[in-house]
Order: sequence, then C-alpha cells, then structure tokens
Amino acid sequence: MNMARFLDALSRVPEELTIHIIMVLISLAVAIAISLPLGVLLTRPRFRKLGALVMNILNIFQAFPGMAIIALTMPVLGMGLKPAIGALVVQALLPIARNTIAGLYGVDPNTKEAAQGMGMPERKVLFEVELPLAMPVILAGIRTSAVYVVSVGTLAAYIGGGGLGDIIVAGLNMLWAEFIIVGAGFGALLAIAFDRGLSYLERKFTPPGFIVTE
Amino acid sequence: MIELRDVTKIYPGQTVPAVKDLTLKIEEGETCVFVGPSGCGKSTILRMINRMIEQTSGTILINNKDIRETDPDRLRMGIGYVIQQIGLLPHRTIAENIAIVPRLYGWDKERIRKRVDELLELVGLDPDETRAKYPAQLSGGQMQRVGVARAMAADPPIMLMDEPFGAVDPIVRGHLQDEFLKLQREMKKTICFVTHDINEAIKMGDKIAIFEKGQLVQHGTPQEILSNPKNEFVRTFIGYDRVVKMLTLFQVRSITKKNSYSIIRENELANIRQKMDDEQSTVCILMNESTRPCGLITRDDLEKAGEVGPEKIKEIACSRKDAFIDGDLLLNDALSLMLEWNCDCLGVLDGAELIGVISLNDIRECVRRKEGA
Repeated sequence: MNMARFLDALSRVPEELTIHIIMVLISLAVAIAISLPLGVLLTRPRFRKLGALVMNILNIFQAFPGMAIIALTMPVLGMGLKPAIGALVVQALLPIARNTIAGLYGVDPNTKEAAQGMGMPERKVLFEVELPLAMPVILAGIRTSAVYVVSVGTLAAYIGGGGLGDIIVAGLNMLWAEFIIVGAGFGALLAIAFDRGLSYLERKFTPPGFIVTE
Repeated sequence: MIELRDVTKIYPGQTVPAVKDLTLKIEEGETCVFVGPSGCGKSTILRMINRMIEQTSGTILINNKDIRETDPDRLRMGIGYVIQQIGLLPHRTIAENIAIVPRLYGWDKERIRKRVDELLELVGLDPDETRAKYPAQLSGGQMQRVGVARAMAADPPIMLMDEPFGAVDPIVRGHLQDEFLKLQREMKKTICFVTHDINEAIKMGDKIAIFEKGQLVQHGTPQEILSNPKNEFVRTFIGYDRVVKMLTLFQVRSITKKNSYSIIRENELANIRQKMDDEQSTVCILMNESTRPCGLITRDDLEKAGEVGPEKIKEIACSRKDAFIDGDLLLNDALSLMLEWNCDCLGVLDGAELIGVISLNDIRECVRRKEGA
C-alpha cells in the first residue's frame, strides 16, 4: 500500500464522482421518459397485443453484457459521455418498463371499474387512480435500474465517458491496487446511496391508505 | 324511466347470447330487482345501462333518449353505480372518495364539503370520525355505506346497484337493507338492483325480474311472483317455502283484529269463562295492575284445563307472557312465534300498548285471499 497513491486516487474522486452521478441521472431520466409512457401504452387495450413483442425486445437488450453494449454504441455515437449515456439508457429501459406494466396490471380491476362507472374520463382514471396505485411498483423498477446503471457506468471509461471508471481503469493499467479500491469502493457506495434514496421515495409515494395505523 | 327494447348481448367469441331479446321497462321511482342464478346475465344488463358494456343489438332508453346519443362519461356521471366489491379508491380518504362525482361536475370546495358530511350522516356514519379515514381503516359494512354514499353524491335520479350488500355478513346486510329502504322511501330514485338472493329481491323490490340463461322469465311485483310463479324454474328458484316468503310481504298490523278479544285482570280470573262467553271472544289477555299485558289464554286452553281455579288459569296465561308481537313485524315472524309458544293466537302491540290480536286462522285466510287473487 502506498499512501501517496491512495491520496492521489482520492483527490480525483470529487470530479469523477460528479461526472458519474450526472451520467447516471441523465441516463435514468431518459430511460424513465421512454419506459414509463411505453409501459402505460402497452397496458392500454389498443396496444395490449404489442406488449409481449416489445418486452421481448427489451429483454434481449437486457441480456447483452454491459461491456458489449458500451462497445457497440461507440461506432454509432463515437467516444465520450454521449455514447456512454446511450448505452446506459438501453440497459435501464427494461426494469422500468416491466415494473410499470406489472404495477398497472396490479391495480384492482374493481377500483378501475368503479372509477370508470362513476364517469371518470379515461385520462383521469390513469392519472388519479392507476398511476398513483402503481407508483410503488414503478419506483421499485426505477431503483433496480439505478443500481444497475451505477455499476455499468464504471465501464463508460473505456469509451472516454469518464466517471469512477476512469480511476479503476487507471488502476488496472498501472496495476495500482489503491486506485482500483478507491474507484470500485465509491462505485459501490454510490449504488447503495441510490438504492437507499429511492427506497425512501418509494415509501413516501406509497399511497397513505395502504399503511393502516390503528 | 329506463326502457330496454329487444336488447341482446353476445360477448365476442361466444355463440350463446349473455342476454337475449330483453324488453323491460323500469318506471320512474321504482326499484326493479334483477334476480337469477349466477351467469344468467343480470349483471350484464346493469352494465349495459351505463354503457360499461355495449349491447350487440337493441335499444336502451333513459327518459326516452337513446343512451348511445350521450357521451359515456357524461351518462355515467348521471347514474349512481354501486358494485359488490365497492371499489373505493384506497389512496383517497373517505371524503375524497365521496367527492369524486361532484368534483367531476366542478362543484366548489365548500359545496362538496357540505355534501360529503350530509351524505355520511345519511348513511349512518359519523362525519367527524369518518371523513379523513382511508378505506382500509373501515369495516366491510362501513365501506358498503360509503359506496352507497358515493353513488348518491351528485343526487343522480338513477342508481345501478350490483349486489351492493353482497360482501357483508347477514346481520349487517339486514341493517343496510332496512336503512336503504328507508332512504329510498324518501328519495324515490329509479333503481336497478342485481342480486342472486330471492329473499333480498322480495324485500327490496317494487318489481322483480327473474332471469334464466339470459332470458327474462317473469317480471312482476313480489306478490305477483310469489303467488303466481310462471313456471317450474321460478317455482324452484323461490323454493318450497314460497308461501312463508309471501308472508314477509305483510305487516302483522295489516290483519290484526282490534275487537275480538277480552281483557281480564287478575282479580277477575274466577269469572273468565263467563266474561269470554259474554263478549263472545276466543282469546283473553291478562293485564297486570299497570295495564300492561302479561299473559294470554285461549278458549281451547281453558277447555283443555277443565275445571280449575284462578291460580291455575293465571299460571297458564303467564306461561305465554311473551306471546306478543309488534305490529310492525311481518306475518312470517308471527307464524314463527305461534309455533314457538304452541299457541294459535298472539297479542299485537304498538310499543307497549295492546292494539289487538292475530290468530293462525287470520294468517291462513290472508294467504288464501292473496293466492286466489
């Protein structure tokens, strides 16, 4: 162990961590913006039949190793942060879409029937009944994706995406264990932080009626 | 007024119609109960009226207007809808649940708040206690009440109720039925009520429509159906106790005899035979000092007992101190009490006051009259 290298690695953490977080947040935001509406659409009667097809495609994307996706995006999007984010988005789509669909199907059909039977327009039923009730399940999907994206994000360094991966890759090249420990360690901490933070949100978004306090 | 004309519904992928050539009229202010075994199409009919299901052919009119001319959401806002599973929104408070339709109509906050409290009180819930609770915090019976309140929120002239009291235990169901009948007597809404329970149908309905395999078998008042079942299916559906069920349609008060009995006090017991002969009565009611009825004895009892003293007569009379019935109760209750006390005759009370007597013969005659009609 070399203390100087250790401190050197640590001094690079603030910058790389910021890049990593930005990368994860942007990827997640884009993935949510695609997956959530997609999940909603696939549970509407008109598009229900497409559900299996789309989910299979997403499943195939998910089955690709993270490294392969990153490598495949490079020829298309070039080097840098942009292709890294593109690759992460592809990886983050499935859990969110799958949980959105599962959450929406999980809403008690009687609740929907009653809401509709009272004359609530379809949009209102979606926004005031279905989505709030499906929200805990959807957030669980986002949490899965977030943890995933944080870990796959370390591979972005290979195509010049930066982030905590830079520290790890530098460590691997020089065979400096200190760099690898610092990079991987902060990657793990970041994953845990996202997981905890989102599970807090999940509890917060659980409709109050579900928690009976007597 | 709701009118169905030759309405048929065939679900996609099926050859047998769920509802076949149904023509039915439900008058304004009338409760029409659709009854039949499960799968007879009764719920389908209900759901066609608010366009949750579209009919395959035929016309449904509400106040002489084809329902297909109205936007479905608009139509449903004007029709109260209660389902067995209630379907309260679990993430909204009771007040918010009840306010759904008023909010769709765009009522202002103050008006909604007032209406919610008014409705909660109407269905027998304490507004201060219930308003802010979530559905999961209520009992089954309370949820059913909220379901009814929610359906009535914007005071719709028509209510569709699909086994609204089906999910609660029989005792609570009985209460809810009684309370709803009381409400309906004031509200006079046009109600379509679905149930598979013939007793509920008899109790709730102004009219009963009996369905079998998607077809209307018989439509009429409970009395018409009970006294004149159209075919074997209806007869079986009603059950072997058809006549006893018919007794549930009449109050004891309606056939109480007001002056064919004698009243006697304890100190007159020795002259009881003389008194009954003079008044030509077959039953005698024993009163205590505070003119409360405390026993009952019939001429048959006296003959069976033979020559006995006043003490023995008092004993026989007092053994039937509970052979009295409230005038508001039903003839089947009276019959049950007669069997319980092994006595042909019951005293009829209004509160604590004696208003007459009812005998097994009176019930028999009542049945004969109604059956003949």
